[in-house]
Amino acid sequence: MADAPMTSGGLLVFKPKPSLPPPPATTGVIGWMRFNLFDGIYSSVTTVIGVLLIGYIAIGFYEWAFVRAVWEASSRNECRISPTEFGTCWAGVEFWFTRFIYGRYPDAEIWRIDLAALIFVLWMAPLWLPRVTAKVIVGLSAVMVFPFLAGYLFLGGERNWFMAIMVALSLTWFIGTMVHVAICLVTNQGLGRWIIQATGFASRDDRLQKYPIIILSLIAYFVVYFLVADWQTVEVVPNQWGGLFLTLVISGVGIASALPIGIVLALGRRSQMPVVRVLCVAFIELFRSVPLITILFMATTMFPLFLPKGVVFNNLASVIVAVCLFSAAYMAETVRGGLQAISRGQYEAAEAMGLSYWQSMGLIVMPQALKLMIPNIVGSFIGLLKDTTLVSIIGLYDLLGMINAVSQDPQWIGLHHEPLFTAAVLYFVACLAMSKYSQHLERKLGAGDRR
Amino acid sequence: MKKLSLLGLGAGLLAALSFTAAPAVAESTLDIVKKRGHLRCQIGTPSPGFYNLKSDGTWVGSDVSICRAIAAAIFGDPNKVEFQSVSSTVRFTALANGESDLLSRTATWTLFRDTQLGLSFTTVNFYDGQGFMVPKDSGIKSTLELKGATVCVLTGTTTELNLTDYSRVHKLDIQPVVFQDSNVRNETYLKGGCDAITNDKSGLASNKAGFPDPGAHTILPETISKEPLGPAVRKGDSQWFDIVRWTVFALIAAEEAGITQANVDEMAKNPPSPEVARMLGVEAEVHKGLGLDKSWAHWIIKSVGNYGEIYGKYMGSASSDGIGIGRAGSQNDLWTRGGLMYSPPFR
Repeated sequence: MADAPMTSGGLLVFKPKPSLPPPPATTGVIGWMRFNLFDGIYSSVTTVIGVLLIGYIAIGFYEWAFVRAVWEASSRNECRISPTEFGTCWAGVEFWFTRFIYGRYPDAEIWRIDLAALIFVLWMAPLWLPRVTAKVIVGLSAVMVFPFLAGYLFLGGERNWFMAIMVALSLTWFIGTMVHVAICLVTNQGLGRWIIQATGFASRDDRLQKYPIIILSLIAYFVVYFLVADWQTVEVVPNQWGGLFLTLVISGVGIASALPIGIVLALGRRSQMPVVRVLCVAFIELFRSVPLITILFMATTMFPLFLPKGVVFNNLASVIVAVCLFSAAYMAETVRGGLQAISRGQYEAAEAMGLSYWQSMGLIVMPQALKLMIPNIVGSFIGLLKDTTLVSIIGLYDLLGMINAVSQDPQWIGLHHEPLFTAAVLYFVACLAMSKYSQHLERKLGAGDRR
Repeated sequence: MKKLSLLGLGAGLLAALSFTAAPAVAESTLDIVKKRGHLRCQIGTPSPGFYNLKSDGTWVGSDVSICRAIAAAIFGDPNKVEFQSVSSTVRFTALANGESDLLSRTATWTLFRDTQLGLSFTTVNFYDGQGFMVPKDSGIKSTLELKGATVCVLTGTTTELNLTDYSRVHKLDIQPVVFQDSNVRNETYLKGGCDAITNDKSGLASNKAGFPDPGAHTILPETISKEPLGPAVRKGDSQWFDIVRWTVFALIAAEEAGITQANVDEMAKNPPSPEVARMLGVEAEVHKGLGLDKSWAHWIIKSVGNYGEIYGKYMGSASSDGIGIGRAGSQNDLWTRGGLMYSPPFR
């Protein structure tokens, strides 16, 4: 009956048979595996070898990291699983973990590092919140203003007049930013506009509108200034800084200063003025053709020889300056590459509109160029973060330096696989975070291209 | 003409620079340290027993104790020290350029270093010597049996040079396998990458303690080099030289006189001998030339103990701080017991 032609009112109507389901071998997991893993003899062989290899390594790792693990012990000797064999001594890592993160920073003062980190996160977080306005100012101030507060929190001690001013400024700015973010989230408008409305200046002349903002900021600044005037923390000399904290301080300062200095150098290298160009080229080529470790050695051991006797330049400061200059030289070439990718027409159009050099750079060329450079910029930042391990060679106890110290402690003597693994995980997390952020930034800034 | 004036400007700048670089008044190191409020003591990168970091962030070890002893002698407080952990490649530069006040690390006293690097070794606080370690089941009993053997050694140190010298003198044809990192060297040795490992004997002892099965390895009896280790200072300040040297002597003399960290207060009250009385500043004024307080030696012993106590804590015992090298009958024992530790009289 089913095969009989259907008739409807004497007309023969074509009624297709329902299509058969795809052969079971081409759908689902099995199909996916056939197409992707066992598509022909070579593919099958490599799959089998690959799976065996991964399995072998995974089992080995599992055994090392978990089966043989000793979690509780107070010395490496207690990590023995037999008289002639050590287990995987995670207890040692637990024992030393605070040092990996904070170095030799006094335990009682560690809250200062945590506080600075918290403030930084709070300061940067608004960049991800879509309703917050003036993101550029928030982001820039996190890089330019926050370091003074962080620097004082880390270093402590007495503040000179400059630091007293800057710390108060930094704190006020932070509070202002937080208020701004809160207002943005509630009312959908920025702090400035809200103040103007709240004080009833909205209907006044445009030129008058800025006064309530200036006056309120000044009041807030002086209130904060006098509130924190007597606040003082114990001095912690840079000699005691270390661990991941030091790694992040060095690479953070390097990253924050590399971009601005690099942009200036790149513009200088493309400048029409011969003196500026020659100086920039000389600087870039000098720093790019010398290995970082040589520059670090120069900064920490040769440089003091040129100074008058008795004047000792802080080791960490010289290292940070060296890292900044080194990364700026590399950044300059990245930026130059980005600038060259912008077509001549853009420069000419900017000129035709009557924009000055800085206006055309700042408004037309740089925004386009920087967007193109993001993968390269983040690439060199990640490189810089990892390069800072070199400072452990000149006797600074960054993360790697602390890791190396474990195996020389009689209590944990010879323990170095586990700490190294821990360092690898910490570096991986830090680098992955940076790389993910750059992808996020690219997607956001590239929105215009996709439209 | 233009070129000439540029040259002149350059020369002027150079002259000005060199003028400011010359120290106007030579201030004594002691004054500088006192003014600064703390001592800058250079140690090396962690080395078990001598100076190593603990998981609470403090430095401990025998050389660290020398730093603390000097701080105690000057300030009466062993914590007024900034420890500068410097890699061995730049250790002498960091002393020469004034970054460190003294060097208290495992640097071997040699003629060249003592005369040509602008520094002076004060005295010896540890006698070390290079030796070999082999697996017990290799059956080797003497270094002379190491013919044609491959030996793991750290590069860039005198250890490497001593090894080739020794191999040449005794026609052993030893093949050195060089390493940058002691952990990697140990690992290679444990996996059978070389027949023996060479290092200072103190280092061998601590390496061995970190092996999975320390009992399976043995340190050969021969010592192929002399490694006298002691604190060094910049040349040209004899008062500072004396302070460092006599701090070490005070530690040794205290052990000889039986003064310990525990009984030093009691001894200062009732000195059992005129020597102890002079040392602890109860009698006479032998300390005057050092420019220190008369209680300087009292403070030293009170803060870090005598030489034997320091040795016992960081070298002798196989504890969480120590690496377990026996002292009895070794060169590091007191002269009264057949060792080389000897202090001139406190008179």
